[in-house]
Amino acid sequence: MPSYLPRVLANLLLGTTAVLSWAAAARAEEPVATASPEPAAVADPAAFFDSEVKPLLAAHCLKCHGADGKAKGSLFLTNREGILKGGDSGAAVSLEAPAESLLLEAVNYSGYEMPPSGKLADEQIAVFTKWVEFGLPWGSDAELGEKPTDDHGPPAVDDKAKAFWSFQPVTHPQPPSLRDNAWIRTPIDAFVLAKLNETGLKPAPPASKTALIRRAYYDLIGLPPSPEEVAAFLTDDSPGAFERVVDTLLESPHYGERWGRHWLDLVRYAETNSYERDGAKPFVWRYRDYVIQSFNNDKPYNQFVTEQLAGDELDQPTPETIIATGYYRLGIWQDEPVDPEQELYEDLDDLVRTTGEVFLGLTIGCARCHDHKLDPLPQADYYRLLAFFRNVRRFGERSPESIEDASVRAIGNEEEVRRNEEQIAAHKQQTREVRQELRKLNEQIFAALVGVEKDDWKTDAMRVEIAKRHIGGALSQEEFDRYAELTAKRDELANFRPSGLDKALCVKEHGRECPPTHVLIRGNAHAAAAEVTPGFPSVLSPPEPNIVLPAEGVSSTGRRRALAQWITSPENPLTARVMVNRIWHYHFGRGIVRSTSDFGFQGIQPTHPELLDWLASEFVAGGWRMKRLHKLIMLSSAYQMSSEASEQALAADPINDHLWRFEMRRLSAEEIRDSILAANGSLNRGAMFGPSIFVTIPDEVLAGQSMPGAGWGKSSPAETARRTIYIHAKRSLAVPLIASFDGPETDASCPSRFVTTQPTQALGMLNSRFVNEQAEQFAQYLRTQGGDKPETQVAIALRRLFQREPTPGEISRGLQLLAALQSKHGLSPEAALKQFCVTAYNLNEFVYLD
Amino acid sequence: MSSEHKHRNFCGRTRREFLWQAGAGFTGTALAALLGNDGFLNRQAVAADGATPWTNPLAPRAPQLPAKAKSVIFLYMYGGPSHIDTFDYKPTMKGMDNKTIEVKTFGRGGHKNQGRIVETRWDFAQHGQCGQWVSTLFPHLATCVDDIAFIHSMTADSPIHGSAMLMMNSGKILSGSPCLGSWVNYGLGTPNENLPGFVVMLDPRGGPISGAKNWSSGYMPATYQATVMRSGGTPILDLASPEGVTREMQREMLDTIRGFNEEHQQLRPDNSNLSARIASYELAYKMQAAAPDAVDLRQEDERTRSLYGVDEKQTEVFGRQCLLARRLVERGVRFVQLYSGGNHNDANWDAHGDLKENHDLHAGETDKPIAGLLKDLKQRGMLDETLVVWGGEFGRQPTAEYEKGTGRDHNAYGFTMWMAGGGIKGGTSYGKTDELGSAAVENRLEVKQLHATILHQLGFDPNRLSYFYNGLDQKLVGVEGAEPIREIIA
Repeated sequence: MPSYLPRVLANLLLGTTAVLSWAAAARAEEPVATASPEPAAVADPAAFFDSEVKPLLAAHCLKCHGADGKAKGSLFLTNREGILKGGDSGAAVSLEAPAESLLLEAVNYSGYEMPPSGKLADEQIAVFTKWVEFGLPWGSDAELGEKPTDDHGPPAVDDKAKAFWSFQPVTHPQPPSLRDNAWIRTPIDAFVLAKLNETGLKPAPPASKTALIRRAYYDLIGLPPSPEEVAAFLTDDSPGAFERVVDTLLESPHYGERWGRHWLDLVRYAETNSYERDGAKPFVWRYRDYVIQSFNNDKPYNQFVTEQLAGDELDQPTPETIIATGYYRLGIWQDEPVDPEQELYEDLDDLVRTTGEVFLGLTIGCARCHDHKLDPLPQADYYRLLAFFRNVRRFGERSPESIEDASVRAIGNEEEVRRNEEQIAAHKQQTREVRQELRKLNEQIFAALVGVEKDDWKTDAMRVEIAKRHIGGALSQEEFDRYAELTAKRDELANFRPSGLDKALCVKEHGRECPPTHVLIRGNAHAAAAEVTPGFPSVLSPPEPNIVLPAEGVSSTGRRRALAQWITSPENPLTARVMVNRIWHYHFGRGIVRSTSDFGFQGIQPTHPELLDWLASEFVAGGWRMKRLHKLIMLSSAYQMSSEASEQALAADPINDHLWRFEMRRLSAEEIRDSILAANGSLNRGAMFGPSIFVTIPDEVLAGQSMPGAGWGKSSPAETARRTIYIHAKRSLAVPLIASFDGPETDASCPSRFVTTQPTQALGMLNSRFVNEQAEQFAQYLRTQGGDKPETQVAIALRRLFQREPTPGEISRGLQLLAALQSKHGLSPEAALKQFCVTAYNLNEFVYLD
Repeated sequence: MSSEHKHRNFCGRTRREFLWQAGAGFTGTALAALLGNDGFLNRQAVAADGATPWTNPLAPRAPQLPAKAKSVIFLYMYGGPSHIDTFDYKPTMKGMDNKTIEVKTFGRGGHKNQGRIVETRWDFAQHGQCGQWVSTLFPHLATCVDDIAFIHSMTADSPIHGSAMLMMNSGKILSGSPCLGSWVNYGLGTPNENLPGFVVMLDPRGGPISGAKNWSSGYMPATYQATVMRSGGTPILDLASPEGVTREMQREMLDTIRGFNEEHQQLRPDNSNLSARIASYELAYKMQAAAPDAVDLRQEDERTRSLYGVDEKQTEVFGRQCLLARRLVERGVRFVQLYSGGNHNDANWDAHGDLKENHDLHAGETDKPIAGLLKDLKQRGMLDETLVVWGGEFGRQPTAEYEKGTGRDHNAYGFTMWMAGGGIKGGTSYGKTDELGSAAVENRLEVKQLHATILHQLGFDPNRLSYFYNGLDQKLVGVEGAEPIREIIA
């Protein structure tokens, strides 16, 4: 229940000219309905309850506090004990101090407001008052309504809960030794084959080389191989041919653009704040670049996590580690909160929730208002985790300056920072002095202004001219000279601010001391309960956090570093498991644990638990490096299987739990757009990093904005041909192609993309300006490369879309279309070729991988 | 899942359903609608296994309970119309203009404890059999009051446009949740797959604040988001073929696509997503014919067009949209939302400046079209199964926002909305604000109860229509649930 609901209605302002008398006003003026100081005795308390109190309870209270065994705020009003025991907010009635009882406060709408549908009549309130003052007499039925049931309590944090598989330490299982080992290329295959053997399923045959190279390219860099790259691989029959492809791809700068995108989905990356203004986040793109570079540099995952959670609290923060803390600033931000205190906790909730799900695979956000209903995560654990973030400043307080203050920092070496700060301080001081002196002269001149001068004065640029007219009057020649000089100086100062250092969006804390953290009853910021200190989820039997204040001069508590330390500790049972599972998920289209962000009771059990642990332990032992893991996975037979189904396997295991084949997948929105550009040779691969770009969004879509076009710019053609990851991610305005092909929803962490199929996708791929422009470009490309021969044009097109040699049948199908468009529909060869390109962009094989 | 944890799975889903939802390989074609109704679930268990034939996620489904309404037309008065100047008559304020009183208000100007009364600028009179008070802002609508249930005791959680609009549209002041229309399509699908199931029409002056967030499907797949439709020109984005491409040419191209795709699928017969994509091109082709037909208002006779005010300058835009709304509903579209007002300030109902000018403008643009819509639906026998909802994100304060002038600030403490048709009891009034209209005092209602009523009329149990996301069975009406407003249900 929001806290700002009205307490009292209209009161009269007395003692002024307006004296009004309304019933409402008079009623509100009355003191709250407390009974007379000496209540007369009630002859028959039980009868009083049954005839007067019970009907009121039944009509106005029990629906929410007791009916069907349900009780809001954990408060049962169905029996006397329940009332005295109270709910989340404490006893509903105090027999010692009846007048202070919460129940009376609530029905009087002073504090709580019950019933919420409207205040009771005075007579009804009087009944409650009398009842409480008489010591809460009860009637004939000890229990009103149904008895509360307690069957569905939340899971307890006990030994049984602690024994749950994902809360147990990671083991290092030996790969099964199997007799039939021709299929086994890596230990991964041993685990997979062992499980297949259990049910008598056979792994699918190896994928064709054309399928494999296409799979690997899209998987690692999100782009298709060129026809030359395909040809080179097909002709290379030496043993290490595929390994060399994988190595090359892992070294490609485009690897980070593909795998960084997965990470950006997870951390709800977007570049604006959502809500009414949906303002752009300053320098947020540096975080995107940081992620791409981190993947490209094969940064160890433990370091990657630490930098994002606590890059500012490290012993030696660098610009890179400061940028990494942009992690805290990626979420939605309400710049005009209705209830600022509650909003602070909405922001913190975003951090707790995202951190819990992304790094730990725990949906701890569900424990914000009450103990987690499905996992052994008590509400106190939520707030203990929140305590690590409690001192983090809000993103800002409405204005751009406040964001600059709370979330932006200059990045540079110490000397650069110091010099820059001095320059800024000097600039501020000078500006202040000039303005002060100007103000005095302004007042002096303004007093002498006549007629339209006063209007003109509002225009800054006219002031010197106006002042000139008053020389000898309001001001002397010297004063005028000074006035002109100061005005020029002021403009100069405004135009030449210290250029400043590069800046980064980053986390900042309030200082070295943290305000206390309390459990909040039902998540309500205004209902603080017990204080808690920072701590990790108790079901993991974790160590105490090792919180160390950072070096003198660093304005934070060190709490986040302690959190990062625990998350990245090799002993943490979840971190490595969750991450290797994500990597597996992105390679295979599904995780070993299919619920990639939920490793709790409600999550799905791993299909290959030993494999998961083996991968996790290998990951940690290998220095948390991801490229090594990619290679390990991609060189396995499991990865290189065909996606073809065998009827027997399909019948036995339709959802491929056993991994008897590789699964087909549709390209993501980014891959589709990038591939459209790659096919016609216009993709600008070289331009990486930097502020985001704006592609053309149709006017019809911009018309949905309250100020059509606001916050959306225009980039040059070279810029708009860059990869999709560089398109400005505006929360309230989606690029239609990206949105229709299931781009990520960015308001919360997105662990897995939807893959929908809908007619609007077809409309966009056939009729949109973007696709038609690209088709035109494609046609030109085909003419340049293939000359005027339609067979060659069609063959090149299909080769560039499918990354394989087209069959004669396919070529003739293309030729038939070209011929029909010309003969039946009167198109020129050029126009027909363009329409063929539109058609080709729409083929299933273009957007589906085997 | 081990057996000891199985009982925790209170959502009553099967393992397979859960699996599709819970992180891996979400596919729209595989998405089971998660209603807490087992028969329903069984019918919805589709294609995640890759073997069952594809089913359109928007295929029509029977509601959980007997439904009164089949479609909803939500007339969204963006900016917040003033309840006390429209339908919430406050006779005691007469003669009080400019008097300063103590009253608690909370708007964009923050919390205030006193203010200067702005008496209403319009006369009120009683109308219909029910005697509902209506101001002179709505002379046409006043003739329909016996079909309308007025809810005078609405409250919202925020008096700020951005968050209050999210609240009215998605039930939460935080961004990221699916809208009412998305829930309806998720739950019911659409009987006409050649048209979108959830349509939004915008004011030509611009969209509302937060733009597309107001019709987004949030954490649900894009299948359930609204399609923005225009009442003139090309009705849907990318619906029209580019210049020079005839329908016959497009057919030629589609046949080629189909040829390639069927050959491609022959080797992959188990992948139903591929056939789904083939089918989606046929749907798109049909939509290209169906949508322009739906927006072709020339098919309507003069009398009907003039009933909606299509022939008058002031009412032409909203009149066309209302008429189109009827035509869409007629064709099976589940949820149509029309925005009266767009952009900022006086381009919508946000009367911070001159109250009279603002409300005269927006009521003038919409009164006749809305009345026309109600009458037309009624004469065609469609009102019974079409739920019409009218209102904005909040109301307005009884007092002036500034020292001078008649502008009113936002008021989320109490405001009026109304519903008609779709099994709603016409000629009723429910709830009350205080003598000033500053706050709801009797039968106070939250937005979720309004949502619950809409869902209920469509045949849902609002507390059982859920979608599993983020570890929780999410509901439009929130985890605590809400009951429909039974007093206004026929």
